Amino acid sequence: MVEQYSEQLYWHVRGLVSSHEDADDILQETFVKVWKALPGFRGDASVQTWLWRIATNEALSFLRKQKVRAALRFESLDAEAERVIDDDPWFDGDDAQRRLAKAVASLPAKQRAVFCMRYFEEMPYEQISSVTGTSVGALKASYHQAAEKIKVSVEEED
Amino acid sequence: MSKKIEYKVPDGYFENLKTRLSAIPAQEKQPSRIQKFTPYLALAACFAVAVLVGNLVLNRTATPAASDEEIIEYLVNSDITLAQIVDCLIVNE
Repeated sequence: MVEQYSEQLYWHVRGLVSSHEDADDILQETFVKVWKALPGFRGDASVQTWLWRIATNEALSFLRKQKVRAALRFESLDAEAERVIDDDPWFDGDDAQRRLAKAVASLPAKQRAVFCMRYFEEMPYEQISSVTGTSVGALKASYHQAAEKIKVSVEEED
Repeated sequence: MSKKIEYKVPDGYFENLKTRLSAIPAQEKQPSRIQKFTPYLALAACFAVAVLVGNLVLNRTATPAASDEEIIEYLVNSDITLAQIVDCLIVNE
């Protein structure tokens, strides 16, 4: 399982949280939960869907905490997300890529997850639905809204 | 618009990651340091509670001070949502 999915799962989590260190921590926590839950895994979903569900929930929980922390410190979450991308030594993109990364990071957490799975990972809506527990119709609407926001955000800076 | 964001990882990261993730089940089976020291911790906790209660009895006006950061981390690790924080702020205004 580790051999087959860890690298792909890392890129999934990295897309959601941007930072390499945070993605590494979340992946570690994900696999601790995976090993604990493995005896009870009934195979209702595919192993991949199951792993993505646990990792996505971990990443969303991390983003929720980040948001609460920023609010309690009276800091701007968008500014913090931009700082993470600007200061990331493991970001290798050009200016256009940086703008795209910042636009993705400015989306609400769940919308960001949907956008990343659909746009970057090219996951079918049905599979995203199994991962998130959201209906296909709602996912399509969420993806459309996210894509519009990103388009506006990227074009604003051009 | 690009279909990929160019993130990179440290050299040899994925080999190291696979080794670490594969080692988790063995680590989980071993009793952790905390589990090993549980009886001693329980004893220390009893002592701490006794000291705390004693302190409270002797000095009823004393209040434990928590720093802002400690309070923030406590709230972050609870299940509180941003909406609930905003509600609290509105109520306390």
